[in-house]
Amino acid sequence: MKKGKGIQVLVPVISIAASFLIGCIIIAALGANPLTALQYLYKGAFGNVRNLGTTFSRATPLIFTTLCACFAYRCGVFNLGGEGQFIMGAVAACFVAVATGIKGPAAMVLASLAGALAGGIWAGIAGLLKVYRAQNEMIITIMLNYVATLFMGIVYTNWLRDGSVPQTVAVPEETMLPSFFGMRATIAFPIAVICGIGIFYYLFYTSSGFQLRAVGLNSVASRVNGFNVNKYMLMSFLVSGAIAGLGGALELLGTQLRLINGFAVGYGFDGVAMALIANLHPIAGVVVALFFAALRVGSTTMQTATGVPTSVSDIIQALVIVFTVAGMAMVKLPGFQNRLIARAQRKGAKA
Amino acid sequence: MSSFIANLILATVRMASPLIFLALAELYEERAGLVNIGIEGIAAIGSLVGFMISLISGRPGLGVLAGAGVGILVNMIYAYATISLCAEQIVYGMAINIFAPALAAFIYRVYFGSGSELVQANLMITLKQALGIQSDNFFVNLFLDQTPMVYIAFLLVIFTGIFFTKTRAGLNYKAVGEYPKAAATLGINVIGTKYLACVICGALAGMGGAYLTTCYSRTYVDGNIAGRGFIALAAVIFGRWSAPGVLIACLFFGFCDALQIRLQLVNSSLPYQFFQMIPYLATIIVLAAMGIRKAGPKSAGQPYRKEER
Repeated sequence: MKKGKGIQVLVPVISIAASFLIGCIIIAALGANPLTALQYLYKGAFGNVRNLGTTFSRATPLIFTTLCACFAYRCGVFNLGGEGQFIMGAVAACFVAVATGIKGPAAMVLASLAGALAGGIWAGIAGLLKVYRAQNEMIITIMLNYVATLFMGIVYTNWLRDGSVPQTVAVPEETMLPSFFGMRATIAFPIAVICGIGIFYYLFYTSSGFQLRAVGLNSVASRVNGFNVNKYMLMSFLVSGAIAGLGGALELLGTQLRLINGFAVGYGFDGVAMALIANLHPIAGVVVALFFAALRVGSTTMQTATGVPTSVSDIIQALVIVFTVAGMAMVKLPGFQNRLIARAQRKGAKA
Repeated sequence: MSSFIANLILATVRMASPLIFLALAELYEERAGLVNIGIEGIAAIGSLVGFMISLISGRPGLGVLAGAGVGILVNMIYAYATISLCAEQIVYGMAINIFAPALAAFIYRVYFGSGSELVQANLMITLKQALGIQSDNFFVNLFLDQTPMVYIAFLLVIFTGIFFTKTRAGLNYKAVGEYPKAAATLGINVIGTKYLACVICGALAGMGGAYLTTCYSRTYVDGNIAGRGFIALAAVIFGRWSAPGVLIACLFFGFCDALQIRLQLVNSSLPYQFFQMIPYLATIIVLAAMGIRKAGPKSAGQPYRKEER
């Protein structure tokens, strides 16, 4: 199955190319020159150090929610609650940073830990219901997303409200995350990348990670082999929730500084999309998240320069996922596999 | 009867109707062995297109038809990927959930520009308004002060119940969801039935979305489906994959939605978000309380490959 590996990389690449082609057609239909638009897109995302910093900064929360989805799905658990877990992490971090009076590095560490814990607990609710009540984790995690969003609403309209404005008090300056090499991104960005590498190492180079993946591939066979399936499923909920929660805490301490209406909207599903495009590979997930962050940052520049709305980038992202998932299924079809084998045999015969 | 309870019952019927469309959409899909978690997304695009056509033509009914049409179109992507390409159904449903709302948001931006002022469309008139009845009696309001969509929703439940339990076609349809290979040996067109299920599901989910912009709210905003597509999934499980069960489940979830709206209006001391949590928490509690019994169609979620015998 060496051939399969090349195709697994090829499918997303072709999907991205096809999606950009359609994106260009849409841009042309809106009356702009696609090539100019793409040029501004590129400049906006990578043109100078400042823009690059913005791209890293936008990528950071997406990396966390992507890793959250990757980790859970590797264990066969469909955690769609990345957004809720991210939000609960940010809410917990907000309480630590704003309401306890602790400031400075100690507050950063405490707030991050509180965020990871809150995210883990929030996912753990769904995990317990999945493991002990055999409930559909997708519906539960989605419902918990809405509950988390509303809970955050209570926090910024009532409990930690900043005067007359419906937003929380800002994180004190001493507790703000230091910037990453003087760029707009904070140290949250390298932490996100390190998380990705750590998860990659755990999944592919430890025996526990192997067992977790085995549970995801075939839970019955894993049970027969004596793996504790329930333990791994629950753990995958807790860890994926903690990843998202940590992401929420760092986003609050580094970038947003306040909870406000619209905080983290769509990050959960974005993470799911990016994890699927990356074929559940953590390192590939980091790359895909960076790619889409660049697309979003660049599209703002594109909008000001050419008038093409930024939501074009959302369409391109959505098309990539529609094409990638279909493409990966297509290459797995028996007919396609047979053709691949036949071609390999023909090549073998010639040589 | 106090006006609070009367209003609560009336609101329950109004809020249950879109859920009925969405839950029936999922029921038809799952009965053919397809789990489609993308109905939230299909409802979103149905809601937008329904709104736009209703606004342009001035006829909400036309908007609903357009919503059904676009729902079918979008669901054909799901159908091709899951039936013909055997893509994983859950994963592809998720892809639709990401694709369709993005498309809806994009079309809205391009068509209406980014102006902050919300455009308003006409709502469908109720039977009471059409007949010119003046009475404000509770039962008149309950049975006559409803839009045609509400009657259609309840008629669809009756039709679906009879179809799946009393007709030969309905039993054949269910066989595809239970054991497709056996169904195929009996001469039932499995692939065709699955595609038909996707057409029905797309149309109903699109109509459910369009209900929200033609019968409930005059405006379209991103995210107006607010998880109803997923609550409908819960309603199908809670209703044990039968039409009467789904109706009861939808009325219950509609009641929760109605309750939170009424409580928000009555109470002003608690933050309103507490009440808005009610439908979502109720869904979690109901699912958790139901426990481990499994009932659904046996082949739901499994790809059907003709070659593998």
